[in-house]
Amino acid sequence: MSDDVFVQLRVGAESYALPVEAVIEVTMLEASTPLPGGPPELLGLQNLRGHALPVYDLGSYLGGHATPNAARMIVVSDGGRRAGFAIDVVTGVGPLPERTDSDAELFSGSTLDGDRLVGVLAVDLLFARLERAASR
Amino acid sequence: MSAIDPEFVEIFREEAAGRLDAIVEILLDVERGGSPPDAVNALFREAHTLKGAAGMVGLDAVQSLAHEMEDVLSDARAAGSALPPELVEPLLRAVDAMRAGVIPVTHERPEAVGATAAESGPRVRVPAAKVDRLLDLVGETMLHRRRLTHALGSERSDDPAVAALVAELDVGGPLLDELKDAAIGMRMLPLSSIVGSLRRAAREAARGAGKEIELVLAGADTELDRALLEELSDPLIHVLRNAIDHGIEPPSERERAGKPPCGRIELTAVQREGVVEITISDDGRGVSPELLAQAADDTALADLLAAPGLSTALAVTDLSGRGVGLDAVKGYLESRRGRLTVGSTPGSGTRVTLVLPLTLALLDVLLFRRGANVFGLPLSSVEEALMVKRRLTLAGDDSIDVRGEAVALVDVADLIGADAPVPVMTPPAILVAAGGKRLAVICDRLLGEEDVVLKPLESPLANVRGYLGTAVLGDGEIALVLDPLELVRGTDRPRRARPGVESMQPVLRSKVLVVEDSFTVRELQRSVLEAAGYDVATAENGRLALEHLERDADVGLVVTDLEMPELNGLELTAAIRSDPRRSSLPVVIITSLGTEDDRQRGVDAGADAYVVKNAYDQQALLATVGRLIGR
Repeated sequence: MSDDVFVQLRVGAESYALPVEAVIEVTMLEASTPLPGGPPELLGLQNLRGHALPVYDLGSYLGGHATPNAARMIVVSDGGRRAGFAIDVVTGVGPLPERTDSDAELFSGSTLDGDRLVGVLAVDLLFARLERAASR
Repeated sequence: MSAIDPEFVEIFREEAAGRLDAIVEILLDVERGGSPPDAVNALFREAHTLKGAAGMVGLDAVQSLAHEMEDVLSDARAAGSALPPELVEPLLRAVDAMRAGVIPVTHERPEAVGATAAESGPRVRVPAAKVDRLLDLVGETMLHRRRLTHALGSERSDDPAVAALVAELDVGGPLLDELKDAAIGMRMLPLSSIVGSLRRAAREAARGAGKEIELVLAGADTELDRALLEELSDPLIHVLRNAIDHGIEPPSERERAGKPPCGRIELTAVQREGVVEITISDDGRGVSPELLAQAADDTALADLLAAPGLSTALAVTDLSGRGVGLDAVKGYLESRRGRLTVGSTPGSGTRVTLVLPLTLALLDVLLFRRGANVFGLPLSSVEEALMVKRRLTLAGDDSIDVRGEAVALVDVADLIGADAPVPVMTPPAILVAAGGKRLAVICDRLLGEEDVVLKPLESPLANVRGYLGTAVLGDGEIALVLDPLELVRGTDRPRRARPGVESMQPVLRSKVLVVEDSFTVRELQRSVLEAAGYDVATAENGRLALEHLERDADVGLVVTDLEMPELNGLELTAAIRSDPRRSSLPVVIITSLGTEDDRQRGVDAGADAYVVKNAYDQQALLATVGRLIGR
C-alpha cells in the first residue's frame, strides 16, 4: 500500500484510476463542437471557461467500448497538455492496493480492488498517443 | 579582425545589458537564499557568453572581467557545489564594472521624437511569458464581457435594472479596449530592433555585387508583434538582396541612364488600420515592360514574380533571380495572414510591400454556419459574401461567375471532411482570396463579422491541419477559424507543405548553420560567412539547431559554440553524429575555451574542426569552413 492517491472511475464495465495530481476537475459532459479533420477518438471541443478543451471517448480509446451514455467528463493535464475524457462515474478517491506493473500500453500498472480489476493509466503515455493520433 | 564595426558594438551593448541583468537577478536570488539549483551553471554560461562576445567586439576590459568571473564560477562548477553567498557581493561589483565598460562614454539619448515621458523614463524588463499571460487574461476578460452582453442583450426589456446594467457595461467597453491596447503594446517591439542586421546585409550584398547603395530608413519606430518581428529579418533581407542584385544597376549603367551612381533603397514602415506595411523601394531599373503588361495590379505582379521558375524563364532579361525565394517570402506572409504586393515603373524602380497584421491574438473574422459547426474566416482573406444564383459545371466541378471570372465553388464540409447535409441549390457563399487563388465557399448561413480572441489548437491537437485556431463566441459556442491558405490549397492535391522562413534560401549545399547563444557573435559570424557567399541559418542553442536540421535539408555544415543553454555544442555534435542521416555533416566548434582538454572533448564528440574564439579571425574560420564544405 503506497501513499499515492488516485481518482478511480468507471467507464462502461471497466474501472480505471488516474493519479490525483493529473486530474483538474470532474464536470458535466456537454454537447461538444465537432472538429472535422481531428482524430476519430475525439468527441469534439467543449468550452471550458473560455478554452476549447478536446474531449475524448475514453472507453473506445482504450480499446473497450464507446460510452454513448457518459454524462461526465474528467479533465486531465500533463504539463501544458489538457484533455477531457468522457466517463460514467467517479467511484472514489484514495490510495490503491499494491499494484503490479503492467505491460499493456498506456498503463503504468493494474491492481485488484475488491472484485474489480483497476487499470492505472499512465497520463504521459496517454497524451503522447493522443498527439500521435492527431498527426495522421 | 581589423576595425570593429560600430554596429556590432551597439548590438553587443544591447545584449550585454540583458545578460548583466540576468546575472544580477540570479545573484540576488542566491543572496536571498532562494538559489535556483542551476544558478552556478547559469551564471557561468552568462559570463562565458559575455566574455566571448566582448572579445569579438574589442571591449577588452569587459572581456577580462567576464573571464575572471568565469574563473571564480568554474571552481564552484567543477566542485558541483552551490554558489557560496559571500561571493555574491564581489560578483555584483564585477557586474557594475562591466556595465561601466559596456556603456559608451557619451550618454547617447535615444532620439526621443514624439516619445512620451513614459517611454523615455526608466525601463522594466519583463519575461515575455508574463506579457503573453497578461494578454491571455485580457482576452478572457473580453470573452467574459461578451457573455455578459449576450446575456443582457437577449432580454431587451424595459426593466430599469437591466437598463442600468447595460449602461454600466457600456462604460466598461472603452476601458477594456484601452486595457487591450496597452497589453498588446507590451508585446510590441520597434522595427529598429532588427534594422542593424538589415544594414549589414545590404552593405555586404552591395559589396558583393560591385554596386553602391544608400539605405534610407523611415518609420523604424513602428512597432510590431514580437513574435512576428523575430521572423521578419530573413524575408526583409531577402527582398533587400533582390533589390541590390537585380534592381539597382551597376554605377556605369546608372550614369548612362542619367541617375546618380549610388543607388537608393528606401525602407519604410507605416501602421494603418490593424496592419503594418513595410515597403522596400529602389530606384533601379524596375521590372521589364513586358512582364508589367501581364500584371493587372500590384498583387498580380507579386504573384507573377513569386511564381516558381520565373527566374529561369526570364534568365535572358536582367531579371534572373528576381523570383528566387520571393515565392517563399509570399508564402511566409500568407502563413501569417499578411500579403505581398510589388509595384514597378520600368527604368525608375521597384517597390515591394510586405503587409502584416498588427497582432496575432485578436482577429476580425466572418462567421458562418455549415452543418454542425460555426466556422470563421479572417476578414482579411474575404473579398465578399454573395448568393449563388447559377452554378456552372465543368467535369463535375462547380464554379460561379463572379463578374466574368469563373471561381471554383466548394463546400467547406467536403474540403475538411465534415458531416453536413447537402447544401441548398442557391446557398450563400463567401469569396475567399489566398495564395493568389480565389474560392467561393458555400455555407448554410452567414452569421456576421466579429472581433474574436483566437487561440491556436494546442497539444494534443496541435498537429491537426487546416485551422488557424478556435474562438469562443459570446454565446459560448466554439467557432473553428479556418486557415484560408490551407483551404485554397486543399483544392489542389497533393498538398504542398507551407513554406517557412527556412525554405527561403536557394537550394545549395553551401548553407552554414551557425549555433551560438550570443546574439552579437551570431550576427558577426553570419555577416562574415554571408560576405563570403555562404547562405547562413542560425540557431540559439543545440536543441533549436537539431530542430532546424530536421526542417532544413540544405545545411551543409554546422558551426557551433560550446557553452550554450539547453543543449551545448558537445551534446549537439554527439547528437548529429549519432543520427545516420547526418553522421557525415561537418561540425566546426568555435569557442573561447582553448585548453587542450576542451579540444579533446570536442574531438571525442566527433567535431571536424575546432576554432578558438580568442584567436578568431575571418580567414581562419573561412578557411576551415571552405575546406570542410568542399569549395
